[in-house]
Amino acid sequence: MHLTDDQLNEYLDNETAERAQIETHLASCADCATRLTALQTLFAEIESLPDLALSRSLAPRLTPHALALPRWLTLTATLQAALALIAILLAAPVFATRLPVIQMPSFADLLLQLQSQWALFFDTITTYQLPTLPQLPPLEISTFVLSFTLAGASLLWLVGNGLLLRKQIRN
Amino acid sequence: MSSVAENIPATFSPPNLYYNSAMTAPTDRDLIVSAMRGDGDAFGELVARYQTNVFNVCYRILHERGEAEDLAQETFLRAHQRLDQFDFEREFGPWVRRVAANLCLNHLESQKVAAPLDEDRDADESQRPERQVEVRERSEQIRGALASLPPHYRVVVELRHYQEMSYDEIAAELKIPLSDVKSHLFRARKLLAEKLHAPD
Ligand SMILES: [Zn+2]
Repeated sequence: MHLTDDQLNEYLDNETAERAQIETHLASCADCATRLTALQTLFAEIESLPDLALSRSLAPRLTPHALALPRWLTLTATLQAALALIAILLAAPVFATRLPVIQMPSFADLLLQLQSQWALFFDTITTYQLPTLPQLPPLEISTFVLSFTLAGASLLWLVGNGLLLRKQIRN
Repeated sequence: MSSVAENIPATFSPPNLYYNSAMTAPTDRDLIVSAMRGDGDAFGELVARYQTNVFNVCYRILHERGEAEDLAQETFLRAHQRLDQFDFEREFGPWVRRVAANLCLNHLESQKVAAPLDEDRDADESQRPERQVEVRERSEQIRGALASLPPHYRVVVELRHYQEMSYDEIAAELKIPLSDVKSHLFRARKLLAEKLHAPD
């Protein structure tokens, strides 16, 4: 009984549990030994193929553009900036009516003011007197619009950055 | 066959994008960690290290240079997308080569209609020294014989002979039964022997 092709293949692949029996047969059977040699020659030929060189490097084509964030995602940065600008423009008149007219004080005045503020602050913390909460302004329609605009812009900013961050982490 | 392919000197080496020679070369693992943090240059360095390797996997299976280069590129894009699945206990090289073999198999299977083998691809060999021509002709005969095999056979031969995977590893990689791994591999070898050792 000669060895099967499967046995010879498994023997050369080191995937057989019957190594000893196969070797015993090979030692006494010239036919099977010849078949084994032929298979070994084939293995050697298959594995003799030389590596070929690339005609061009793949690296420059892959980095950085191919691996960069998708265009629509990077565009959200521009969109965010535009929305922020719109939010500022919308909010500006509301703030303008509320803010007192700014007078530019001299540097000495500023220092003096800072000193008095510090003294006031120091006085406050040494006397442990909690300041009373200022009266909240009544809700006006302009405040409502302002809040809504700011909330919307914040939400868009969060979603946009969430997407950007998720992509970044996955990379 | 593919005389153009053979004309490129084997010494071709891509420019080093990531580190200069004065620095200690980062390990593959260092590069993978940087690449996972979004460092494109780190991944570029991994590409530079393994592109020839990966290209040769694709070329042995596809036997067409343009396609092999495209699939090699695709392999790195896939690898980049799947970096979070990379097992740090293992090596990057074998992993990316397995990705390549799988991609090539999918590519061949999606083509369905097998393209007829171009027998005239190595027509211009006349100016080469004798022995080199013989070696080259034999290599091309082997490549041609490999390319004549059904896609699944080619990939099993690739994984066993060039990536030195065990039967079990091949079965797991290709998601096929162990018995199929053996029958594909043994039949592939029989066909190769018939093609390569047929009397002229
Ligand atoms: Zn025998």
